Amino acid sequence: MVEIEKVEKRYLFLLIVIAVFINAVTISPLTPWQNWTFWSRPTPTSIFNISVCDYEFTLPSGGIQVRVGEPVKFVVTSCDVTYGFGVFQRSGRMLFQMQVLPNYSNEIVWIFDEPGLYTIRSTEYSGPDHPSMIVPDAIRVVP
Amino acid sequence: MARAPMTPQVLSLRYAVVAVLFLALAGIEGLLMRAQLSNMSFTIPGLVTIPMEAEHYYAMLTPHPLVGAYGWAYLAVFAAFYFLVPTLIKKPLYSMRLANAHMWVHIVGLLTVWSSGFFLRFGSLYTVYWPLPVVRFPPLSVVIFAVGLALVELSVLCFIFNLFATILKRSQSDPLPRAVALRSLLMASFGLDNVVRSLRGLFGHRTALNGGTRASNPEPLPVFVVAVMRGSIDATLNAVVLTGAGILMLFFTLPKLLVGLTLDPLVVDPLVYKNVFWWGLDMIADGDVLIWVAGTLYLLAPILANRPLYGEKVVRYVILTDLIVSMGVWSHHLLCDRPQPELMRLLSGQFITWGEFFTMGLSFFAALMTLWLARPLKFSMPMKFMLGGIVGFALGGGSGLLQANFAVNLIMHNTQWVPGFHIHQMVLTGLSSILFAAIYALLPMLTGTGLKSERLSNLHFWFWMIGGVGMAFSMGFAWRDGMLRRTLYPGVDMYLPYMNSATVFGVLLALGFLAFLANLIKTYGLRTLVGLFIPLPVSKPK
Repeated sequence: MVEIEKVEKRYLFLLIVIAVFINAVTISPLTPWQNWTFWSRPTPTSIFNISVCDYEFTLPSGGIQVRVGEPVKFVVTSCDVTYGFGVFQRSGRMLFQMQVLPNYSNEIVWIFDEPGLYTIRSTEYSGPDHPSMIVPDAIRVVP
Repeated sequence: MARAPMTPQVLSLRYAVVAVLFLALAGIEGLLMRAQLSNMSFTIPGLVTIPMEAEHYYAMLTPHPLVGAYGWAYLAVFAAFYFLVPTLIKKPLYSMRLANAHMWVHIVGLLTVWSSGFFLRFGSLYTVYWPLPVVRFPPLSVVIFAVGLALVELSVLCFIFNLFATILKRSQSDPLPRAVALRSLLMASFGLDNVVRSLRGLFGHRTALNGGTRASNPEPLPVFVVAVMRGSIDATLNAVVLTGAGILMLFFTLPKLLVGLTLDPLVVDPLVYKNVFWWGLDMIADGDVLIWVAGTLYLLAPILANRPLYGEKVVRYVILTDLIVSMGVWSHHLLCDRPQPELMRLLSGQFITWGEFFTMGLSFFAALMTLWLARPLKFSMPMKFMLGGIVGFALGGGSGLLQANFAVNLIMHNTQWVPGFHIHQMVLTGLSSILFAAIYALLPMLTGTGLKSERLSNLHFWFWMIGGVGMAFSMGFAWRDGMLRRTLYPGVDMYLPYMNSATVFGVLLALGFLAFLANLIKTYGLRTLVGLFIPLPVSKPK
């Protein structure tokens, strides 16, 4: 049906091998967080409800304290526009993030593997005051 | 008073000159924003003071990609295709008047979009996530932005109509009924005739494809023209969706502006909006950009190698496959939207996106094999820029595939990886280099003479390539330290090494562009370039 030359067939085979390899590795539990976000889906030990409105995060009144190795769920809602919910190490490195859509319950389960203090920051542009949407040391992770 | 008479060559040159001016505008905005991110302080009297206020910065960031995409890239494509398509199919352009008129509509539309930011501080960014535009920004600025966007899309639709009308205009000598002739032509061009013939053969049914007549099937259209037609489908859908987004903005803004009535924007589901918007917007990024670029390669490579395109039959299937792929990839922009169904994120967001790895991979392979089989090659400017463009697409496309990943997107989305390694690499090193290759190849055909200074051309090439790759990498590596895109970090120094490096490479890009501009003026003269648009007094012979 399709006339394809030998060298073209070999090249296509190479493309297929690369595509299958990268997709298989990233979807597998070899990618650490795929273990719990996609494969095992453990029941969270704690649930933290966070709301965002007019550029401001409102955190649970008792603060957010979690234990290393325990699955916890963050449920984030917005009252006006789309925001982001990102958790950052003190060094600035981002651990994970998700979009926060208004009218939806935006949920993610995470397992922290290092104790310390973590910062919450909006990762989605929500207007000119977006850069100010940062809550330093909002999450305390204990051994 | 004399102005150049309107010919296909003059029309294309006009579009090319306007495209270059818009590239300059996008570049100036880009450099000002780079200066801000490098914590610089200076004032350009009457224009801008760096650092800008956040409101001003985002009002500049909003039109920046629109001016780059619709001003530079689209108009350069219009310049090339308005000349090449009629030339290749040996038919006159359907309407020169329409082509000329919608250029002005395009310019007015883009300047209107730009003005909504510059004068009225509209700063919703090109993503205009619902309901951000109507909640945060002055109603008048929203109206101006939406009207400008609609004008630009109207111009795009005029271009596509004009091209299709040119291609599909029936020749007098065609013996077949119009519908049959059209169907046969399209099937042959997209390689569908072979598929249907094989399928019918399987079932022992051998009816002719041309409506049962005995007339021979037509010659398929050149593969470049097929790619142009295929990309135009995406451009049309994109124009319809973006105009729809503009109409939605007007629906919620005009009552407020005219009678003070505020409607609740959240009656529109933000997730449904986001799906429709990205489906339409991705028709540019993952649809017509890729296939129009591929089409340009299908044309340039054989011209530069002086031999037929390698694997042309496969390429026709690639073009058709890419149409299906580009319709299904939009969810890679919603991988971090947890309410988006998981299956959609996995299938549309990741697996179908990998379809582009195959379609673009095979397109580049066809172009490179065409060149390889024609060795020894002369490394002319179009050849250099074409190869540079392929490198840019390989780097930017590879990084795009990594971020369009169900797992990895969780740590990459909205970081500097996206505008750095992916977008600027694709647009500056990839797309723009291919456009420059086309411009360098076309100028001798349009004017009878190529650019004068080889030295300036080489400076353009090397500064552009080093600047483009360097800026993209400088921005992209800031991802490792958690730097977000679209975020200002006042008083934070940790990202300065990345941003300063990006600024230096950005200046190199600008120098490359200036070398090109100087070469244009040196070759043709400012008077000739201005005379394309404005009647100038005839100079007296000395």
